[in-house]
Amino acid sequence: MPAPAIRPGRGTLRLMADRPHATPPAVVVDGVWKRFGKVDVVRDLSFEVYPGEVLGFLGPNGAGKTTQMRMILDIIRPDRGRIEVFGQPTGLAQQQRVGYLPEERGLYRDVPVLETLAYFGALKGLPAGEARNRATRMLTEVGLGDSLHKKAAELSRGMHQKAQVIATVLHEPDLLIIDEPFQGLDPVNAQMLREVVLERRDRGAAVVMSTHDMNDAQTLCDRILLIDHGQRLLYGRVADVRHAFSSGAVEVEGDGVPTDTTHLASVSDATPSDGMVRFLLRDGAVAADLFRELATSGAEVRRFQVATPNLNEIFIRAVAGDPRAGLVQ
Amino acid sequence: MNDRRTFLRLVALVARRDYLRTVRRRGFVLGTALLPLGIAGFLLLSSVFMPAALEPRPGVGAPLTLVNQSTLRLEVPTDAQISVRPLDEVRSLMSTGGLREFYVIPSGYPEQPDVQRVVGPSRGPGIEDLQRRHQQEQLLARLLVASLLADAEVPTSTAARLLDPYRLRDTSGDGPGPVPGFQAAGFLVPYAFTFLFVMSIFITSGYLLQSVTEEKENRVVEILLSSVPSLPLMAGKILGLGAAGLTQVAVWVGAALAALPLMAERVPGLGGIAISPVTLALALAFFILGYLCYGAIFAAIGALAPGTREAQQYSGFFGFFAVVPLIFAGLFIADSQSPLVTALALIPLTAPAAMLQLLALLSEPPWLLVAASLISLAAFAALATLAAARVFRATLLLYGARPSVRRIVDAITARG
Repeated sequence: MPAPAIRPGRGTLRLMADRPHATPPAVVVDGVWKRFGKVDVVRDLSFEVYPGEVLGFLGPNGAGKTTQMRMILDIIRPDRGRIEVFGQPTGLAQQQRVGYLPEERGLYRDVPVLETLAYFGALKGLPAGEARNRATRMLTEVGLGDSLHKKAAELSRGMHQKAQVIATVLHEPDLLIIDEPFQGLDPVNAQMLREVVLERRDRGAAVVMSTHDMNDAQTLCDRILLIDHGQRLLYGRVADVRHAFSSGAVEVEGDGVPTDTTHLASVSDATPSDGMVRFLLRDGAVAADLFRELATSGAEVRRFQVATPNLNEIFIRAVAGDPRAGLVQ
Repeated sequence: MNDRRTFLRLVALVARRDYLRTVRRRGFVLGTALLPLGIAGFLLLSSVFMPAALEPRPGVGAPLTLVNQSTLRLEVPTDAQISVRPLDEVRSLMSTGGLREFYVIPSGYPEQPDVQRVVGPSRGPGIEDLQRRHQQEQLLARLLVASLLADAEVPTSTAARLLDPYRLRDTSGDGPGPVPGFQAAGFLVPYAFTFLFVMSIFITSGYLLQSVTEEKENRVVEILLSSVPSLPLMAGKILGLGAAGLTQVAVWVGAALAALPLMAERVPGLGGIAISPVTLALALAFFILGYLCYGAIFAAIGALAPGTREAQQYSGFFGFFAVVPLIFAGLFIADSQSPLVTALALIPLTAPAAMLQLLALLSEPPWLLVAASLISLAAFAALATLAAARVFRATLLLYGARPSVRRIVDAITARG
């Protein structure tokens, strides 16, 4: 099935986000609206998620991330627009292929953890015996072999978290939707979850991950979607987004690097700092122009790097209305 | 087709899981066992104490003590507990506390009919004193009538008929057969069944309420809804917990039916009671539909309420409707065709208790009313289940927050 067309914003640059993929998308969200009371929580939102990638779903609190995730899961329905999961409208069959780790999560407190996991696995379509065997194996693998028959109320917080992560991936979902997954996790469990996410991605699953942690977004996500007030602000590959937000600055480290900008036509300003020089490129100039000029100046360059902001800075700038957000749509 | 199969599989999974989880709860096991244990306790206690209670207590004096100052010759039966004594003797007996009261027939009797009752010193009569005196008055009246008839030389056989005009014997229309039971017991036992059914509707709906609020409080509801759409989740819960309620009712009714013959030996009239299979089947239908109505309402309350406590408060309000017909029990007995009774039988929330009462009271089910009531209940149950599933989906994820009325209405009336 060909990848459905996603409407790019007017006057925007088509980057990786809109390039055709080899495989059809696992999720297509097309022009979706959702209103609660008098507030449009999601406004004309469109994006795709492909198998074998992690899409970081970013945005301030109340931006509409969880609502959008619930719509993909068919927990709530959009007022307008189209959502397809594995090429079909959302429904029972699609739900069975999705693993969901919600922000508000828990286990039945007075039920043995193995029983709860086996039940969740069975709801996802696993035969009862298979669900039980898998839950036993996976719980044992993460060190909960002695706690299989303990009630959730008797488990420590860390053990609880491990069990919840296992409940999410027990049925080996093709689409993993995780909402603020690292919130409240201890470092050990956070690392376990990172490994689970990457392992699922490497096996070809599509992953949608909402997070406030920009370090995690930067290291785990292949692409990001930033929304605010229910609208798309940024959508693209992490590298492309960072490039779009680069300030035209180049950091150069080496011997004999000139700081007098009169001999460098591509540069408007040069500032020495911490053993390197930070050059600000003139409008229309690119980093390659500076590289050539440095080469002819006789400088011995050890490091030449286009300065790009991290996702945290981009997040703050985009939400504050930086016009460069419009470049990555 | 695949979706339908998955839908049914999910309903069955949720139903099985909620059923097993409920019937394994300590509270359920205790609650279910309580009635059979109560009946067994009654049988045990009655077998220990009843025979002794039925035997005449030795050493108890005659209940009626008389002083006869008239010329009428008293015809005191040999087996009656009546003693006629001189005035001095009874006064002396009373002063020593051996007698609580005696009766003096005046010298001018029967022309002068004022019989004097002399009562010993006391703090005023209690229930026991009143009962005893009532018996004494009956004995005295019978003694005086018999004595006057004998004085008038009325033949013995006529006198006997005047004292006991007839002896009533009940037989069935089909010939010799069991004597129909004692009327009060005949009413009370089916009435007790009505009460059991209504109570069970409540308890079962309560399980549903508990299940929904627990899943909300344990934060598992979102995981469930990401695997099971709200309608099969709701349907599974209603079926599973309804089956748990039926299990409980089956144990209770089974225990009661098994105990009836045993209890009949101890409670007069119980042996003659028979509950027809038709009445039982109708009672079951009203139980199931009543449970579906209240179950849907309680599930929606569970989804709407921020916590268990609030959920119980809201459900108590709706629960009141279920017992309204029991408040009007007197009217059901006095006039089962009253417009109020008919209205209560047709209003969905009061229909189960109203119809169960009518079925208990009437020898033939009022078929037209039964049909109308069943239709009203079934329609309401279907609408309530659909509305509850929508409210469930729209509001269940509002952890700790109260949804606005607008949002609830929007959820119920939304398309799709």
